[in-house]
Amino acid sequence: MRYSPTLIDHFLNPRNAGLMRDPDGVGQDEYAGCGDLARVFLRVRDGLTVELRVQTYGCGPTIAAASLASELMTGRPVDDLLHVKPEEIEQALDGLPEDRKHAAEVAAGALRAAARDYRTREERRV
Amino acid sequence: MNRRVYLDHNASTPVHPEVVAEMLPYFAEVFGNPSSVHGFGRAAREAVDTARERIARFLGVSPEEIVFTSGGTESDNFGLKGLAWARGRGHLITSQVEHHAVLRAGQWLESQGFAVTYLPVDGYGMVDPDDVRRAIRPDTIAVSIMHANSEVGTIQPVEAIGAITRERGIPFHVDAVQTLGKIPVDVHALGIDVMSFSGHKIYGPKGVAGLYIRKGTRMVAAQHGGDHERRRRAGTENVPGIVGFGKAVEIRAREMTAEAERLRALRDRLWEGIRGRLDEVQLNGHPGQRLPGTANLAFRHVESESIVLGLDLRGIAVSAGSACTAGQVEPSHVLVAMGVPLDWAMGAVRCSLGRSTTAEDIDYVVACVEPIVRRLRQAMPAGTT
Repeated sequence: MRYSPTLIDHFLNPRNAGLMRDPDGVGQDEYAGCGDLARVFLRVRDGLTVELRVQTYGCGPTIAAASLASELMTGRPVDDLLHVKPEEIEQALDGLPEDRKHAAEVAAGALRAAARDYRTREERRV
Repeated sequence: MNRRVYLDHNASTPVHPEVVAEMLPYFAEVFGNPSSVHGFGRAAREAVDTARERIARFLGVSPEEIVFTSGGTESDNFGLKGLAWARGRGHLITSQVEHHAVLRAGQWLESQGFAVTYLPVDGYGMVDPDDVRRAIRPDTIAVSIMHANSEVGTIQPVEAIGAITRERGIPFHVDAVQTLGKIPVDVHALGIDVMSFSGHKIYGPKGVAGLYIRKGTRMVAAQHGGDHERRRRAGTENVPGIVGFGKAVEIRAREMTAEAERLRALRDRLWEGIRGRLDEVQLNGHPGQRLPGTANLAFRHVESESIVLGLDLRGIAVSAGSACTAGQVEPSHVLVAMGVPLDWAMGAVRCSLGRSTTAEDIDYVVACVEPIVRRLRQAMPAGTT
């Protein structure tokens, strides 16, 4: 199989899929080359990401990457999301084929965008 | 393990057991070079001649009008370039929905100074014969239109186009890789001068194909060397492959009509089954003028590769209408030419049925498609694509 069992598992059983009401941060990223898109919703308490929801359009690896990223980042400080790198997601997926690296980039990009949105909202509140 | 269902017969087919049996002696027992004059060579020559005769009989042409090649791509390249080079310069007409073997050969000919018109198609993927007539210039040297499209199955009005080219005295090349052995192909009635056809699409081996060249059609040889194939295509013949190809064609002659009927019913069962269970699904291609076993289904707002992966994990083989390579998505050039909107084209999946396909297979596929598409749609952000 071209993809790891972890990737297949997340593709078949996407975690945290769907919308979130009144999120504390929302962000999305689209890979211009192929139109793959991930949207991330955050719930933050005391600087920690307590809940994530993701919506994804794209090939199997992108769906899996967004799902896995949502699990990986739950419970982590928002700062981690702000600086998350695609390599961390790819590693947790047990690798991606060379022509599917964009899957981790889209997931990481959406996480960073959601964290930035949270920060912006926070600053406004202050 | 899941049930395994192969619905990618337009890509390739399993070699028919009778074909395998026919080929086997020609690897180690009858291994001579057909060009050799001794007994070993003569036995191989006899086998090649028999295969050529079988194919010629099926096509209703003379054996000398058949040239064996290494595949459909070579046949298409030979067809186009052979016609173009024999005339030195000029203008060719083809369509936007041809196989890449024709499109890219045409583009290369443009780089060599030839002019090429790529005709548009309608929403069903069909070329208008009047467009062919209008595109003909005084210097038009060839017309190349496929018989049926591999992706959507639409059958082109080849007979009407052939009547035009015949009236104007312009050689007519037809890529019949997806039709020979699937639906009747009468080169005389269709007005075809040069025609590509292939072995592995009809339960023959890979690496062998043919080019029909009507007697008297000026062509430049595909490659130069020995006197093989009446000096039109040099190179020692692929004897086992040619033997298998001949047998495959012979089998198609006896099975084709009944199988076309059976596949048509199964294809419709697939479409009706999926349409009955899912919204926002459409059938691409002509509803009537279509290959019996081909159904190109578009699932709106779903990415086709994820459907292919989901089905693959259930043991089902279909092909994606859009291909994502190194992060660059390429919606099928056929669907783009047909004007299929991107949100539909991105979710196109081709199912191509064949000899082994059963009604149980189709029911299994229908049952598997529904939850996969529903799950993908649920996970998708609203308003994308």
